[in-house]
Amino acid sequence: MRQNWIALAVACHLGRNFDQADKVLTSYVATLKNVPDYDFEYSEVLLYHVRVLEESGKHEAALTKLDAHSKSREIVDRVAIGETRARLLAKLGRTEEALDAYNALVDRNPGRVEYIKDLAKLKGVDIDALTDETVPLALEVLDELEKRVPKGSAPTRLALSAAQGDEFAARARRYIESGLKRGVPSLFADIKPLYADDAKRKAVESIVASFHDAVAPTASPPGEPSTYLWTLYFLAQHHSKLGDQSRALELLDVALTHTPTLPELYTLRARVLRRAGAPHEAAMSADRARLLDGQDRFLNGKAAKYFFNAGRIQDAENRLGMFTKKDAPSPGADLEDLQSTAYLLQAGAAFEREGKLGHALRKFIGIVKVFEDVEDDQYDFHGYVLRRFTVNVYSDFIAYEDRVRQHPAYIAAALAASRIYLRLHDEPGLATKLVAPPAESEAEKKARKKAKKDAAKEKKDSTKAGGEEEETQQQPSKYDDPEGAKLLATATPLDEAAKILRPLEKLVDRADVWAVFYDVAVRRQKYLQAVKALNRLARLDKEDPLLHVRLLDLRKRVSGTEVSDVVRTSLAALFPQDVASEVFTSQYLQRHSSSPRAVTAVARAASSLTEAEELLFGLFKPEVSLDIKTAREALALLTERKSTRRDEFAAACDDRFVLSTVFKSVEEQRRLVKLDEAAMEDLPATDEVAEK
Amino acid sequence: MNIRQATPSDLMGMQACNLQNLPENYTMRYYIYHMLSWPAVSYVAEDNNGRIVGYILAKMDDDSDEPRGEPHGHVTSISVLRPYRRLGLAKRLMIQSQQAMADVYRASYVSLHVRKSNRAAIGLYRDTLGFGVHEVEKGYYADGEDALAMRLYLQPSV
Repeated sequence: MRQNWIALAVACHLGRNFDQADKVLTSYVATLKNVPDYDFEYSEVLLYHVRVLEESGKHEAALTKLDAHSKSREIVDRVAIGETRARLLAKLGRTEEALDAYNALVDRNPGRVEYIKDLAKLKGVDIDALTDETVPLALEVLDELEKRVPKGSAPTRLALSAAQGDEFAARARRYIESGLKRGVPSLFADIKPLYADDAKRKAVESIVASFHDAVAPTASPPGEPSTYLWTLYFLAQHHSKLGDQSRALELLDVALTHTPTLPELYTLRARVLRRAGAPHEAAMSADRARLLDGQDRFLNGKAAKYFFNAGRIQDAENRLGMFTKKDAPSPGADLEDLQSTAYLLQAGAAFEREGKLGHALRKFIGIVKVFEDVEDDQYDFHGYVLRRFTVNVYSDFIAYEDRVRQHPAYIAAALAASRIYLRLHDEPGLATKLVAPPAESEAEKKARKKAKKDAAKEKKDSTKAGGEEEETQQQPSKYDDPEGAKLLATATPLDEAAKILRPLEKLVDRADVWAVFYDVAVRRQKYLQAVKALNRLARLDKEDPLLHVRLLDLRKRVSGTEVSDVVRTSLAALFPQDVASEVFTSQYLQRHSSSPRAVTAVARAASSLTEAEELLFGLFKPEVSLDIKTAREALALLTERKSTRRDEFAAACDDRFVLSTVFKSVEEQRRLVKLDEAAMEDLPATDEVAEK
Repeated sequence: MNIRQATPSDLMGMQACNLQNLPENYTMRYYIYHMLSWPAVSYVAEDNNGRIVGYILAKMDDDSDEPRGEPHGHVTSISVLRPYRRLGLAKRLMIQSQQAMADVYRASYVSLHVRKSNRAAIGLYRDTLGFGVHEVEKGYYADGEDALAMRLYLQPSV
């Protein structure tokens, strides 16, 4: 009975029929008799009623109801009362009372940034859009708040974003030095956003550099060893962020000589090495961090992530297995069961780089599945929520479910899976080739047979010892199609891609999404959708290489094809009809000759290999600031197109990126990994290190 | 750093944070269940980019064998990503959650389980947050390890 009332009110509210919802709630509350004190359900209904009134713009009525029922203690949720009251008072222009209400909220939870921003807004400052005129007032407001709240909380940090010049330097010095003394590992991550402002970056650098000199062991008196260590850690992150990986590694070497037992130093070293283009060395370093604290799952997961990144999939899975259920079919299966999108993305990307597209696709589709499941979960809770009367959070929940696929993991998976589907479409024989086992050499055949024999023998031994071992191994895996063979076998790869991209159309506005959206649409001959995607790309950035190459592609595809006038005019607006493709491209290259991304994209679109080669070797010109990621893409392109100048290009990259190993030959990379592994064996055992 | 009540759009971030940090994990359904049953008592810490770096996932014990009229809160899971330690986040999350348990549900105490071997966590609960050991639950964890059942009695709010 009561549930029907509330269900009706929710239905009216979700249908934005506020007056009806108001009436239903009023009638419902009138039927209630002898409500016990502190009744959660009653409190939820009253709050919901206030919410309906507020959303329909009846702020005065909402406030009156809220005040009446909170004074009588019928509404029990203090946070909800405080937040709603402050917001309503602000909307009604009752500034003084609103300020009191916000101050009370800050006292209760000094860590909530929104309270501070709302409070500042009432005093006439928009913290997120400061101007030279409003900065002094912002600092005044924040300083006043700082006195009310525990040291070092949100107002102190917000003031760093607001302050300029010497004022900034003085405040930043206090903030940073205190963080370094306390050994706050996240200090750099906290400070980094300030680097968007060059002057602030320079100020931070000089603050930390001089603090380093003051706390170094050579200073008199020397600083606390741990302060010195965290200062080196900060400086290494600073230089790595600015692109100087050699300097970062030098600083980390000093830190590691000083204290070889702090895992953070090794995880940071791993990140620096990865940025420098040395993924294997990075993985070894992350694994060292893990060995320093074998009980820490965070370090374990980092090590696995770096192994995936280095293409060492089995090593990664072995690490992950130390924390997954022992009776799961595999570590990966357990993590998929637990809906770990981070794992699925890392593993999928590793398989994709290795060319195992079936395995990769399986992981990416696993992520799509996670989001489908989360979407489906909501249906099981509709009735439940009405029974529990948690209707306030329910409307937020419904709104959230509508945009759940906005999540970066869904976007990444949808794009990666779509790219694989596109390849399956473009190369019809590819799926069969991927699924069929590669031809074996005689030696490989022998090795395989021996391995099989060994495994059988081992199994026999373990059965003898364990007894139950065999049974668990025989259990059929519930993880169907681990190699993705069924997924690869689809007859309609483009439809599959379109299906997983579709939810993104209304949820995100990103260049990479619109690019893949185009790629799929144009191959399905949905030209209207295709030009729409290009228009969206153009709106984001007219000069994006993703757009340029697709304009060339679309012209090629529609020439001599029957397409609607809308498509032709839209294309002509972005790519004038009287301009030849060659001219269009050479003009584009003239504008972007120093952009490695633009040059590589044009090379990919070039029809002749010689032309592509010439463009790519142009990346080494002094005016181009070539980065490792683009260099690897360029190398992959030359490999793919079987260029005879591939090795020459690789050698040039290897020279350019001094610390990198990814441009070395496979044999050389293997040799380096072996060396590193040997060095690893010389390390003291984990327990010994932990004892120290 | 921002400390605030958890909302439905935080659930995936909380789940990811939990998987990165702890060996006891749950599927999204269980997070949704908490959120839609006791929406006021779970909190998150987010960094400047809006990433969830710490959380407390909490509930009220409905079906306990306690005498009636003694509702209490229970911490299902609390953790802070390793790089975000030493900021006092766990303590701040716990305090907010406890206040909500006392206000909204008149909880008289809050309980939690911790692995007997997890010295760091036990130290945090006992020394920083004021929890005491209530009893040892033998073989509480899937791998057979004992749990300490800890409790903190709450001041009734005025």
